[in-house]
Amino acid sequence: MKALGLIAVLGTGLLLLAASRDFPNWGDPSSPASSYRLSRHFITQTINETAVPNMVTAVLADYRGYDTLFEAVVIFTAGIAVIGILRRYGNRDFIPAGGEVHLTPKQPDLIVESTVRLLIPVIQIFALYVIAHGHHSPGGGFQGGVIFGASFILLALARDLRTAQNWVAEKRMLILACCGILIYAGIGVLCQLLGENFLDYQILHRILPTDPVMARYHSILGVEIGVAFTVTAIMFSIYSNLSSNGQMKEGI
Amino acid sequence: MIIPAISAVLIALGLLFFIGGAVGILRFPDFYTRMHAAGKGDTMSMFAICLGLAVYQLQDPTPAHILVAMKILLIALFIMMTSPTSTHALIKAGFIEGLKMWRRKDRKEKS
Repeated sequence: MKALGLIAVLGTGLLLLAASRDFPNWGDPSSPASSYRLSRHFITQTINETAVPNMVTAVLADYRGYDTLFEAVVIFTAGIAVIGILRRYGNRDFIPAGGEVHLTPKQPDLIVESTVRLLIPVIQIFALYVIAHGHHSPGGGFQGGVIFGASFILLALARDLRTAQNWVAEKRMLILACCGILIYAGIGVLCQLLGENFLDYQILHRILPTDPVMARYHSILGVEIGVAFTVTAIMFSIYSNLSSNGQMKEGI
Repeated sequence: MIIPAISAVLIALGLLFFIGGAVGILRFPDFYTRMHAAGKGDTMSMFAICLGLAVYQLQDPTPAHILVAMKILLIALFIMMTSPTSTHALIKAGFIEGLKMWRRKDRKEKS
């Protein structure tokens, strides 16, 4: 049986290796992905149409803004599902298979607390930098939001969940998550109200003091901020719910 | 010519410490000694490798390259702060939970 598995694995591996020779080379200008007219349009026209030097950000938040909006909604739904399940079923006494686990209560630790106190402001400033600098370098709402959420998780790990909850209450976090989605969808609806398609940002130059190209540039930042709100809030609320079985009391 | 040589020596030194850390994790007898090898080896090697990369950036000292070198040095600084702290936290957690330390006499019982 083992030999059969080995043969199957080796056969599949050899087939994959043989197939990989048919791939175009890295950055091959004549590969189908690069020579299709859509790619050519993005590569040559992005800077003229949106003034964003980072093509990835422009495609993510402007050309396929619909997709990104519902990516943010997927994250939001995941967070709501975790809360919904754990609040309903999490307070039953949970006993793991190997009998009950007794954790020693957490003791304050000077070294860990000092390091965390030094690091958290730096992490949060870096998160804001990643969010705001997404136009020019790799980054944006999702990445910056995860970094920002990680700073709260670090606080909850280094002190305890109660301290982190005193900083940012669960309820406020969830309101923040809803606000993020509302900012994103609101920008889209605003475009509709001004007489363009949903998420077609260039019409916003009527209310922003800029021309249509810069209106797209600034709307991308607005959208990224909305995504960052949602991701930050959902990251932290998933962590705090999972680590405390939905009780929000003790936790790890 | 001299700057790439310095950076190569620093990166090679870092890789040497990495090997030390990896061998330590595999060969040492218990949790505490393994964490000792992992914490010290990884911190030192990451610092040496980051320093080597920063030095390599400085062979063409335009502002853009200096900025990259500064960013790499910042990464090194944060690793110098976080890696020993996490090692400390792990070892303290093990100590509080009453994990037994390895003694010389354990070696006979094992073999």
